[in-house]
Amino acid sequence: MAHLRVEQLVKSYGGKRVIDNLSLSVNPQETMVVMGPSGCGKTTLLLLILGALNPDEGNIIVNDRTLNDLPIERREIAYVPQDFALFPHLTVYGNIAFGLRVRKYEEAEKHKVVDSLLEAVDLGGLSERKPSELSGGQKQRVALARALAICPSLLLLDEPLSNVDEATKADVRKNLKETLAKMKVTTLCVAHDPEDAFSLGDRVAIIHNGRVVQCDTPSRLLEAPKDSVVRRLIAPMYVLSKDASRISASEDA
Amino acid sequence: MMRDGFEAIINALACVFIAYMLISLFYLYVAVGESFSQVAAAMLDSRVLGALTISVSSAFLVGGLAVAVGVPVAYFMAFKEFRGKETLEILLVDMPQTFPPVTEGLVYLLMLGRFGFAYTFAAVIIAKFYVSAPFTLSFLTRGYRQIRSAGYDIVARSLGAETRHLLNWVMLPISARDLLAGFSLTWARAMGELAATLIFAGAIPWRTEIIPTLVYLTARDAPAIAMAASVIAETLSIGALLSFRWIAGGRKWLT
Repeated sequence: MAHLRVEQLVKSYGGKRVIDNLSLSVNPQETMVVMGPSGCGKTTLLLLILGALNPDEGNIIVNDRTLNDLPIERREIAYVPQDFALFPHLTVYGNIAFGLRVRKYEEAEKHKVVDSLLEAVDLGGLSERKPSELSGGQKQRVALARALAICPSLLLLDEPLSNVDEATKADVRKNLKETLAKMKVTTLCVAHDPEDAFSLGDRVAIIHNGRVVQCDTPSRLLEAPKDSVVRRLIAPMYVLSKDASRISASEDA
Repeated sequence: MMRDGFEAIINALACVFIAYMLISLFYLYVAVGESFSQVAAAMLDSRVLGALTISVSSAFLVGGLAVAVGVPVAYFMAFKEFRGKETLEILLVDMPQTFPPVTEGLVYLLMLGRFGFAYTFAAVIIAKFYVSAPFTLSFLTRGYRQIRSAGYDIVARSLGAETRHLLNWVMLPISARDLLAGFSLTWARAMGELAATLIFAGAIPWRTEIIPTLVYLTARDAPAIAMAASVIAETLSIGALLSFRWIAGGRKWLT
């Protein structure tokens, strides 16, 4: 499994530094969530690591291999965009098997991999559906299965829960967390919602003005936020954790 | 029920315009009906059949070439960033549609006439291609840009797809409707092309004479032949455009 290191990354648009000497390290099999307000450079960071954008300065290193000059298709980094980008002309099976088809898997092997992934994301029986026939939560799981099918060294998730309706979000979040834990793939995820970030991430990196302000486990972030920027971003979690304690206390009583 | 007077004016203007266009489109059939026996006989005239053969075959060849060339050019325009891209797009797509076709024919006559291309079937293809291919290019470029903004290319690449996989397995299927729409307009424009073809290819029966040039040359002295050629071409064009639209209508992946 991959160890990701981002070193002193810089990216500017129209004279403005969106990513400003950003450094980050994600341990093998760890799920790191990058959190920050809209426009702080989270998606840009993912696209730089993926290779869809070129950094102005800095290095992207996976397992001691610098990826800067490698095209996307040779990085073995799978990506799930915010709106999932499921290929509309392919069925669920066709979408998940896409990467296997590129790698010239035999039909039987493709079916085996796709069927096991559909079971893993709890979507067995939907292989012949088209993306237009799926709910937001189902699309998210198909996009995840598609990314995992190629056994990537690194998985990038861009706001995986933002296009899921609130009614099913908790279930989808739980399923996502379980799947990531089961697949044991190094994951870098982007989220703006602190509840999503804290529930998915082994560690959470707070980004502000294109830099990592603080990177720690969710509990340590709550105990010792570095400054007012971090406190403001994670503030809803204090309310949620108080509510959780109150509910737990009343249940004990 | 009319909401107000302004809506009544809009509706009236729309009806006048629609009536004008439909009358222009279908009056030919009324005229043919009035001279039916002469026109029917003229339909079997060798020049009419020759012009029809050259017109239809060249239009399909031009359409096919437009697709073959349009796909890589549209990919280039949609995915590559470079200075002057917008200007280049105007020159490739907008200019050929507004450039006077008769001037274009003269340019080709001067440029390629010395190499023996003038007054040949190849000249018909070359002249028609310049004015018609931009329709395919325009539709394909727009379709590929939609694919790019939806992020399908990045996801496909992240799954290991090289350019040939991306094109054949993702872009061409998703943009099939745009391709069909572009092809049908290219075909229709090629069928109607006159001036450039007349200047560069001339009007040699069974070699370079097409329906529009036949109509132009016979409208005064042999109107039955002109009408026969026109009604065949018009019926073919209407039928082809409706068919292409019907075929393309079934693919609704991209709104």
